Amino acid sequence: MVEKKRKKNLSFLERIYVVEIFKGMILTFKNMLRPKVTMQYPEVKFEPPASYRGRPVLVQERNGVERCVACGLCSRVCPALAIEVQAAETELEKERYPQKFEINMLRCIFCGFCEEVCPEEAIVMSKDYELVFTNREDAIYGKDKLLIPVDKLQDRLEFLRKFK
Amino acid sequence: MSVWEIIIISLIKILIIVVIMFLTVAYLVYFERKVSAWIQNRVGPNRVGYRGLLQPFADVFKLLVKEDIVPDAANKTLHKLAPFVALFVAFATYAVIPFGPSVNIFGHDIQLVVADVNIGILYVLALTSLGVYGITFAGWSSGSKYSLLGGVRSSAQMISYEVSMGFSIAGVLLFAESLRPIDIVNAQYGWMWSVILQPIGFITFVVSAFAETNRLPFDLPEAEPELVGGYHTEYSSFKFAGFFLAEYANMIIASCMIVTLYFGGWQIPYIDKLGFNETLTVLLQVGAFVFKVILILFVFLWVRWTIPRFRYDQLMNIGWKVMFPLSLINIVWVAALIMIFNL
Amino acid sequence: MPYLTIDEKRVEFNQGQTIIEAAVTANIDIPHFCWHPKLSVSGNCRVCLVEVEKMPKLVIACSTLAAEGMVVHTHSDKTLEARNAVMEFILINHPLDCPICDEAGECKLQEYAYAHGKGESRFEEIKVRKEKRVQLGPFIKFDGDRCISCSRCIRFSDEIAKANQLTFVKRGDSVTITTFPGESFDNPYTLNTTDICPVGALTNQDFRFKSRVWEMSGTDSICIGCARGCNTEIWVRNNEILRLTPRSNEDVNSDWMCDKGRLNTFKFVNANDRVDGTMIRENGELKKVEWSEALVKAAAGLKEFKSTEIAFIGSSYATCEDNFTLVKLARSLGVNNIDFTQHILPGDQDDILIREDKTPNSLGAKLVGVKPAPNGLNLEGILRAIKEDKIKALYVMEEDIAALSNEWEEACGKLSLLIVHATNHNRTTLLANIVLSASTFAEKHGTFVNFQGRVQRIKPAVGTEEMDRALDGMNMSRWDKFGTKFDRWMQGHKYDAKPSWKILSLLSLQLGGKIKYEMAEAVFSDIAKTINEFNDLDYDVIAELGAQAKIKQTLAV
Repeated sequence: MVEKKRKKNLSFLERIYVVEIFKGMILTFKNMLRPKVTMQYPEVKFEPPASYRGRPVLVQERNGVERCVACGLCSRVCPALAIEVQAAETELEKERYPQKFEINMLRCIFCGFCEEVCPEEAIVMSKDYELVFTNREDAIYGKDKLLIPVDKLQDRLEFLRKFK
Repeated sequence: MSVWEIIIISLIKILIIVVIMFLTVAYLVYFERKVSAWIQNRVGPNRVGYRGLLQPFADVFKLLVKEDIVPDAANKTLHKLAPFVALFVAFATYAVIPFGPSVNIFGHDIQLVVADVNIGILYVLALTSLGVYGITFAGWSSGSKYSLLGGVRSSAQMISYEVSMGFSIAGVLLFAESLRPIDIVNAQYGWMWSVILQPIGFITFVVSAFAETNRLPFDLPEAEPELVGGYHTEYSSFKFAGFFLAEYANMIIASCMIVTLYFGGWQIPYIDKLGFNETLTVLLQVGAFVFKVILILFVFLWVRWTIPRFRYDQLMNIGWKVMFPLSLINIVWVAALIMIFNL
Repeated sequence: MPYLTIDEKRVEFNQGQTIIEAAVTANIDIPHFCWHPKLSVSGNCRVCLVEVEKMPKLVIACSTLAAEGMVVHTHSDKTLEARNAVMEFILINHPLDCPICDEAGECKLQEYAYAHGKGESRFEEIKVRKEKRVQLGPFIKFDGDRCISCSRCIRFSDEIAKANQLTFVKRGDSVTITTFPGESFDNPYTLNTTDICPVGALTNQDFRFKSRVWEMSGTDSICIGCARGCNTEIWVRNNEILRLTPRSNEDVNSDWMCDKGRLNTFKFVNANDRVDGTMIRENGELKKVEWSEALVKAAAGLKEFKSTEIAFIGSSYATCEDNFTLVKLARSLGVNNIDFTQHILPGDQDDILIREDKTPNSLGAKLVGVKPAPNGLNLEGILRAIKEDKIKALYVMEEDIAALSNEWEEACGKLSLLIVHATNHNRTTLLANIVLSASTFAEKHGTFVNFQGRVQRIKPAVGTEEMDRALDGMNMSRWDKFGTKFDRWMQGHKYDAKPSWKILSLLSLQLGGKIKYEMAEAVFSDIAKTINEFNDLDYDVIAELGAQAKIKQTLAV
């Protein structure tokens, strides 16, 4: 038999194991008396910090226009191919806008690459983690669900400016 | 007593016990979820009913309405039979567990045990060994390598630990000079509990009991990280519920056995000296039995959420190289006690 | 041969070549914006500056003639420093609007900025703004901001298109490109400037903002706009063709193609009037039926007539494979009346690319034998015979025969049986008894023979119900590779169409014939075996750039 080398040789008490078992059990028993950390979800809701990566949303400027210029970088960088963008021409100065912007929330893995790559700060991760749908079609979020007014996203935008 | 009276009384006892068993098993599951939650600083089930007390029924209902899947590669007959074997064995064992001393109800002197047989302990040993058949059948008939490995491990584990379990019991029997559970309880009158007289035997018995019931740290037959679900990988719905209930029923039996053999059964030390009337005494004693069983069950759960699973080689090492010699030493120790103190 | 040394590599050159030309032959990449191998040297972008030993200053590789024994360094410290400086200089007024710009992904400036730029600019002032969204010509939008004044487009319209329409105006950083007063940038070749524009200043109006270039798959093909057969690339996303671009082939089209070919030859593939599945006329209306039913009906219909009562019409739009199989089927039925028609637009021809013959495969159809057998009737004869009720059944493949003339339309109406292979609904399908839906050029394998006798291959770029993008080895974009049927980008319509040679071979099966082709390649190997002009050719020999058929000059159309 190969001699097993340990960092520290076990003492006799440790080797008979029973004492160690009791030590472990005392530890877990102490834990039982500690305060609980569970949140009662539907009544109490988790308010995520600014660094939280919830569902990606599109920033809507105060004049009601989306920031997005449909460059398709988010779509290209998305490792799960969740984002599909169709650009079109607009009379606005930005020339180009997303006629269609769809995120398949079944594909999305909340990695935040889209946000990181976006040259316009137009797509950001929100704090929304409540995503429920009952069929595949509902899981594809279009512009109607994705556009969020910029005022509601200040937290995240400031976070990005500070740490990105 | 006429034959009919005996039959009727037995049937009533069986009915009461079966109902109580199902309820206790159900609430043991609830209790386990609560204990695990507390140990992990969580709350545990608290949605279904007051403090989640109806959770077990929701669980069972969910299991019953699930699809019952029988794999194509399975041996259909054995696959269906296996959970019933496990369940039957688990429940049949309760027959010989005494819950209290004899009571007088409506003029009948009734023993608080379904079957007061004089080889009760042998009966328990025999049935628990049969219990492994349920698991082995399930493992073999599923036609899945994970199930098969789980079944094989289970039988190997049972055989290994049955030995030290038997020798541990032998120590108790030396004192009681009887295989009747009631005699064993009576032999531990006062503070003469086996746990005090033969602590080594107690330890080997408890460890073997853990192994026999496939509870952590000995749950190798269903080791999730290695074997998916072990022997019940291919079971779903009602049949899975069967195995599930059987496991918890086995835990209760093991606790009852530990209480009966080592903690003086229903005995409360020197209660007869306090001069209560007979009914109160009996009630207190039944209560004491239930209390002791619950304590042991709590230890079962407590251990499960504290100690990680053994490796297979460690399991075998402990079984044959530690537990077996220890239980032999225990017998020598008990024999010496009897010799010296002429107990 | 004289030689020079570029980056310690000995490079041979012809007298008169510039350094950059010599480098290109040796596969050494020297960055360049204004230099284009097909255009004259302008030398205004300065990004090709290289260090030549014993010369006091850096020289531009595009206009410095290579000389014997020259030692050139393209990666010395001095060169790199100069290149960085030039990049920074060019980027001073170039807007950072890559997210909006259509050129992104195939932009030379983007690539060089990435490869040779510093990634930062010291320019802190306000960038010069110029006119955006200028409609230079019917198909071209010009963005003055993005222009780096390389003059490629000006030189192209002067030298290649032979239409002096573009020029620089103003000076310094206000310089911009415009058409001469009163002119529109409307020569037949304008869209080539969008290909050679190294930035996104000139963009294709038709393709503008439709897709990012990396989202599409590219498939080598041939333009079907005229008998030139310009080599093209078909760009497809979501099973829809979004644009065509020319592919370099010195023997056919150089690097160019005409605007008509680029814009008008692919839209019918996804048009609303596509025939989707086979149809049979019942009670005067076309009804969609299963392929098997239509083929059984067609076979039964043909069997009712004597071979002299049937005529076949081939097509110069269809591939050699299709026409060859048609001829084979006609022969197997003993039908001698077979011909096809050319579509010539007299005078619409120039000495650059455009040809009078507006079909891609007239020569091919002729070569594989779509012509009346010795006692058979030609097109006119067939028309006359239909009028005289001598021919009662007509089998038309991929040709809108009723649109040829009113006479033909009337004649088609007189027929007892008219079977048509069609890609789109047209005047002939309006009269047809059975319509078999044919794959377009973008949905099948096949060969065209251009007016020079050059055999060139087309490949499927658009999936049909029987051509699967993954299983049949078509080119795939990233989206195609990872998409599932649940993804909207994979739900582009797939038409229920088959290539004509396959339809004919299935029909032959119903007629008890012996034509059993499974692959276009098998048809072509039969062509190569039986027809002298195609001897020794196969798909591998034809490859990307085509191969010459052995034709006598007199045969040429």
